[in-house]
Amino acid sequence: METNAMKQDKIVLDHGSGGKISHNMMTDMILPLFNNPTLSKLDDGAALTIAGKRLAFSTDSYVVDPIFFPGGNIGDLAVNGTINDISMCGANPLYISVGLILEEGFETEKLQKILETMAGAAKKAGVQIVTGDTKVVPKGKADKIFINTSGIGLIYNGVELSGSFARPGDQIIVSGTIADHGITVLSAREGLRFDSDIQTDSAALNTMVKSIVESECDVHVLRDPTRGGVGTTLNEIASQSNVGIRIREADLPLRGAVKGTCELLGFDPLYIANEGKLLAFVSKNDAEQLLEVIRANEYGKDARIIGEVVESDPGKVFLETAIGGSRRVDMLAGEQLPRIC
Amino acid sequence: MSLKYVDEFRDSNLAKGLIKRIRAMSHKPLRLMEVCGTHTMSIFRHGIRTVLPENISLLTGPGCPVCVTAQKDIDAFIELAGRDDVILATFGDLMKVPGSHSSLSLEKAQGADVRIVYSAFDAIGLATQNPQKEVVFCAVGFETTIPTIAASILACQEQGVTNFSVYSANKLTPPALAALMQTDGVQVDGFILPGHVSVITGTDAYRPVFETYLTPSVIAGFEPVDILSAIERLVVQNENQSPALENGYTRAVSEQGNIKAQQVMHQVFEPCTATWRGIGDIPDSGMGLRPEYHGFDAARRFGIEMPDVPEPKGCACGEILMGLKTPESCALYKKKCTPMTPVGPCMVSSEGACAAFYKYSV
Repeated sequence: METNAMKQDKIVLDHGSGGKISHNMMTDMILPLFNNPTLSKLDDGAALTIAGKRLAFSTDSYVVDPIFFPGGNIGDLAVNGTINDISMCGANPLYISVGLILEEGFETEKLQKILETMAGAAKKAGVQIVTGDTKVVPKGKADKIFINTSGIGLIYNGVELSGSFARPGDQIIVSGTIADHGITVLSAREGLRFDSDIQTDSAALNTMVKSIVESECDVHVLRDPTRGGVGTTLNEIASQSNVGIRIREADLPLRGAVKGTCELLGFDPLYIANEGKLLAFVSKNDAEQLLEVIRANEYGKDARIIGEVVESDPGKVFLETAIGGSRRVDMLAGEQLPRIC
Repeated sequence: MSLKYVDEFRDSNLAKGLIKRIRAMSHKPLRLMEVCGTHTMSIFRHGIRTVLPENISLLTGPGCPVCVTAQKDIDAFIELAGRDDVILATFGDLMKVPGSHSSLSLEKAQGADVRIVYSAFDAIGLATQNPQKEVVFCAVGFETTIPTIAASILACQEQGVTNFSVYSANKLTPPALAALMQTDGVQVDGFILPGHVSVITGTDAYRPVFETYLTPSVIAGFEPVDILSAIERLVVQNENQSPALENGYTRAVSEQGNIKAQQVMHQVFEPCTATWRGIGDIPDSGMGLRPEYHGFDAARRFGIEMPDVPEPKGCACGEILMGLKTPESCALYKKKCTPMTPVGPCMVSSEGACAAFYKYSV
């Protein structure tokens, strides 16, 4: 069968995975039509200069299933997600927009709860929801509720971050335990009946980014490893910066229950989504200082240095295993878990 | 959730000690086959190939259930998915396996009702929730999963669920090992025998094959220390020319295995000839429904009989499953065949040799 041609005929779930197939759609279909120097950087948000001010602008849509899960719901996910995308540009997020797509028959009580959560998340992070839109579609034409958020923020003075700025020697810090969000949603999903005490890590990282900027550490890249997880994000950075990346299995922070669930179901935590974590690439000399700064934040207590940037094998990520072996951490081809955010 | 019995078997000092001993002891060139796909993945995931001496090569065996599923069975699943009255319940791994003209993933994108489940019992849930539909479970697996499928059929019988049936492409491990050893050109100096399968079958199930071919064999768990210990045992057996059938997974596997699970399996299923992808028909290597359970046989219920189809041109999945070729020596590997555009099932299944090579190799 001609899988290639057929794949182009119809959209499959893999097109939304954040892995290779999404990436190919981005480079083959979207970039050629919308091409401009800002978009082609493929960062989490766009860095724009308007009337002498440097702004970060970003958008994201949320289709998570189920819409309520331990530790949060689609509402705070949508607010925090966009706050984080703007923050990763080295910016202070200020205003966000909210677009709601609702399915006919969706309970207003649930909507009310989601809106309250969104208001709470925005307030906690100190951003305002300043514009929005609501559409309702007939029953069965959408699944309960989909949310789009966009946002803008001011890039901090003198800060310039991009996934293309990683340099050999940089140390890589992850701000806490990985894979919590994806495993929480999976566990909450209908059909998977097992109990655990894990909950989403959904959180706004704007205060953490502010402390990182104020520390004046020599940071080159900030990224939040959401869909596709740490593995996918590191691959994107290796490729954007044309460098190699080495991480150490023994240093990856992982909750016991998350590790256990991954073992049971055969998932690699490196590819599971996070919603309140960041990866920071920092000059070797400043790494320890930055680690302390991140650990001082309420969402950064479990931060660790997990690896470093090297010159060899540009575009590739390798993991040193606990037994002293080594293996490639490739970009996922397709979808490990659909509708996780 | 307790992680006991995982961390102990990932202990880096224990592992490093084993690696040192293997390196010191092993002189002969050795071709060791890990039969099970979960071993293949664990070996790559922990970088075990990168710590072994050059004289030891690891071959991937016929133990990835998706990889050995014949193309005609995939075609049958696709045919079933195409029926308006059917909800097809499947393990996720089968979704992207290409049949002759399509895949379940593409059928789903075009409107077929295909649901991913984690157990045959989830499929019964679908059947009770959708009484106006026929729920068909794609039964693809070895001794590990067959007892649960058998139990699900017994449960349906007891609960009077009539809109549930199973398309059985189940397979048994020991007959495949025997068929492998009879194949020209196959050279295996030791088997790392599957852990999960052996929990059900016990050590005894391998005894006839072992006594016929006297190939060094060790049942292994899935953690790096388990696998390295098995390799160490196989090295010792080869260096001393003292082949044995050993159980290196005593915390889970007994001589006789899980007798209750075996009984349930044999109550519902009986051995039949099965077609293994790339290997062909092997007598008594499949598990078909016994006559008294034919009412649950989807192939009979829907009159599905698919013709044998030639495998895609150039696809070396069959030879790879027998250790005759490595993924890298297949002409399609990384060219026409990638995880995004898989030609053969070894590139699709998360436990497939080609997918593992593609994902973890440089």
